[in-house]
Amino acid sequence: MLFSSVPFLFYFLPIVLISYFLAPRRAKNSVLLLSSLVFYGWGEPRYLPVMLGSILQGYVFGRLIERFRGTKRAKLFLVPSVFLSLGTLAYFKYADFMIANLNALTGLSVPLLRLTLPVGISFYTFQILSYTVDVYRGTVPAQRNLIDLAAYIAMFPQLIAGPIVRYSDIAVQLKTREHSVSEAASGARRFILGLAKKILLANLLGELVSDFRASADLSVLYYWLGAIAFTLQIYYDFSGYSDMAIGLGRIFGFRFPENFRYPYLSGSITEFWRRWHISLGSWFRDYLYIPLGGNRKGSARQLLNILLVWLATGLWHGAAWNFVLWGLLYAVLLTAEKLFLLRGLQKLRVLNHVYVLLFVTLGFVLFDASGVQDAAQSVRAMFGGGGLPLVSAESLYELRSCAVLLLLAAAGATPLPKNLYAALQHGSTGKSILAVLEPVGLTALLAVCTAFLVDGSFNPFLYFRF
Amino acid sequence: MEKRKNLAVICLTSVFLLGFLIWSFLKPDSAVSQSERRKLAQKPDLTAAAVLNGDFMTKFESYTLDQFPLRDGFRRLKAAVLLDVLRKKDNNGIYLADGYAAKLEYPLDEASVCHAAERFQLIYETYLAGTDTKIYEAMIPDKGAFLAPQNGYPSLDYSALSALLQENMPYAEPVDLTPVLSLDSYYRTDLHWRQEALLPVAERLAEAMDIKLSAQYDTVTAGAPFYGVYCGQSALPLDPDPLRYLTNETLRSCTVYDYETGSTGPVYDLDALEGEDPYSVFLSGSKSLLTITNPNVDTERELVIFRDSFASSLAPLLVSAYAKITLVDIRYVQPERLGRWLTFDAQDVLFLYSVPVLNHSETLK
Repeated sequence: MLFSSVPFLFYFLPIVLISYFLAPRRAKNSVLLLSSLVFYGWGEPRYLPVMLGSILQGYVFGRLIERFRGTKRAKLFLVPSVFLSLGTLAYFKYADFMIANLNALTGLSVPLLRLTLPVGISFYTFQILSYTVDVYRGTVPAQRNLIDLAAYIAMFPQLIAGPIVRYSDIAVQLKTREHSVSEAASGARRFILGLAKKILLANLLGELVSDFRASADLSVLYYWLGAIAFTLQIYYDFSGYSDMAIGLGRIFGFRFPENFRYPYLSGSITEFWRRWHISLGSWFRDYLYIPLGGNRKGSARQLLNILLVWLATGLWHGAAWNFVLWGLLYAVLLTAEKLFLLRGLQKLRVLNHVYVLLFVTLGFVLFDASGVQDAAQSVRAMFGGGGLPLVSAESLYELRSCAVLLLLAAAGATPLPKNLYAALQHGSTGKSILAVLEPVGLTALLAVCTAFLVDGSFNPFLYFRF
Repeated sequence: MEKRKNLAVICLTSVFLLGFLIWSFLKPDSAVSQSERRKLAQKPDLTAAAVLNGDFMTKFESYTLDQFPLRDGFRRLKAAVLLDVLRKKDNNGIYLADGYAAKLEYPLDEASVCHAAERFQLIYETYLAGTDTKIYEAMIPDKGAFLAPQNGYPSLDYSALSALLQENMPYAEPVDLTPVLSLDSYYRTDLHWRQEALLPVAERLAEAMDIKLSAQYDTVTAGAPFYGVYCGQSALPLDPDPLRYLTNETLRSCTVYDYETGSTGPVYDLDALEGEDPYSVFLSGSKSLLTITNPNVDTERELVIFRDSFASSLAPLLVSAYAKITLVDIRYVQPERLGRWLTFDAQDVLFLYSVPVLNHSETLK
């Protein structure tokens, strides 16, 4: 079920909220779990057992690891848990990629499995992994209550597209959390803003991208327009989803980690990855980069670790060579920055942002491509190498038609709206105006989002495929 | 103040979500959308099999969208935000310019035109080759031809489309209708052309086909306003068009035989003026095979028109020169089956197709 859908907004959510707030405190996690299973089963009923099996193994191995923590037997339970988690992910996500490459390398014709990727498997697998590893490390106690652990892993606000909430982030809140008017209002506000980012910006940018892909009237301008629109779309799509998840979490009394902090304002790629999909970056740092040795074993080893982490990051996003290359691109850029580029970039005021936006946009061209050749052709066309005209009638039309949308999207990716809000809040007059304007404005935004849902059919969620 | 604001946020959001939940449960389901001229999705059956294969969820989503309370109002709100706030130039592919609503028809789909030409070739080879029929083809530009370029909207290459059609229909004499058409030839809110503006088109065809037409008609204006198909598709509050039809004694004496139903009726189906699509007043709308018989003419000459809905309003203006006009719409009948009803010998044959059908010819059988 999508957050940005009528069944979710006007059926599922109100019913769940009523049930949750009517339920006694001790039953709230059960309500959350049950509603999360309905939420997941709505879109993927046949993959419910896969998720439940993953939760169960996380629970059993977590308990066993804790019981034998400090002994060699703890590792004996950690290893199968990690293998089961990664094995399930590998089977559903990477089996066909491996078979296709094996066939290409050996000339064999092993049939592809053609499995549908269970929604959210990359996210909940990483949560289970972090849980069992943290229990092994002794940073969190194992959860004794299966319902509480299942409620954490399957919690519908963050189940499908994150943020990747670690057990340690919300272990305490699972047992004791406060529900307040201010938190619920803050959650509702964040949810509606996220919904608007998704429906009013990401979806409309997505239509532009879709028109570009379907066009028979391509030009250099259209390639750039498509690339920039996709770069903005993926930001609003994913950060909008994260906002909705964080907002829903707050309504239910949870504090989820932030996932985005104006990534397109970064002055270096290093900074970009501290602002983009923060929960994934920190996950790889803590559960792969540091265990591999991080920067503690010399420069050569550190560079190798960076390479491995970014190969994994690329593959996490998709089982295809363009995702691998996308990861490698960042490995190269981050290595270059670490070795020599970062110092130079820090001295620049504008060009460093141009550099980041250029490589991030090119990276997303690679990311969005149907394959490596498609990506190469797109990049070539963007720089005039495709024999295409500079502009075409359709690209000019799209530019004119989407100019306001693109400007709004660009401005919205900066702290400008937040600063405007803060400026309005300054002084008693501003506060009085906001006291009326904000609730009415949010409701109006919800009504506009509903209008776009009722009339629109274009509503993909990009991060569903991960 | 902060507390009150937070409370207001929660209350308004809850009222909005809960209010529409309750309204959705209480509101009786509608069968059709008058504005969109389509059937609306109905509540799906809840069965274990439908839930397990995901069919129930997909249908339930369509159902909730189609039956959402104030659906038309929300669609209008979306159109207003999109066009007036975000300044997009079209909504659902429909744009407004010079007081006309039109659909973006762009770019030229050569494969589609070739597919249409292949279907026409099949008709030619099966029925027309080796006969004494005289074959003509005429392309009807959509109103975008007169609206899009002047208003900065992309417009397909009509010359290229026409040339492609001619190249693939060497057996047909082309008739260029563009010089006798203008923006004024079309309804403001509908894709079709206005019959009362088509006399020059009829004359142009008559000249090409060497026939003489009666030019005396009475113009009748329908009482009900005509909200064309773009009103619903654009969800914009457009003023209706007047719907007029031309008639005279000859047309009143003509009969129309519908091969689908085996029934005979008049040229103008006046009941349709009160129906979902008032344009169906012309030859009763979408029909696979019709014959108009004119009893008051001193000729045996016959015309067969392979056509789409544009011909419904034009054909009556050609009736005065023919004893019979047969209209074939191969979107609704397989060309291979036509031999069961039609024999081709020395008729005039006109392939009369609008650009939207040629450019999206997957509907042609």
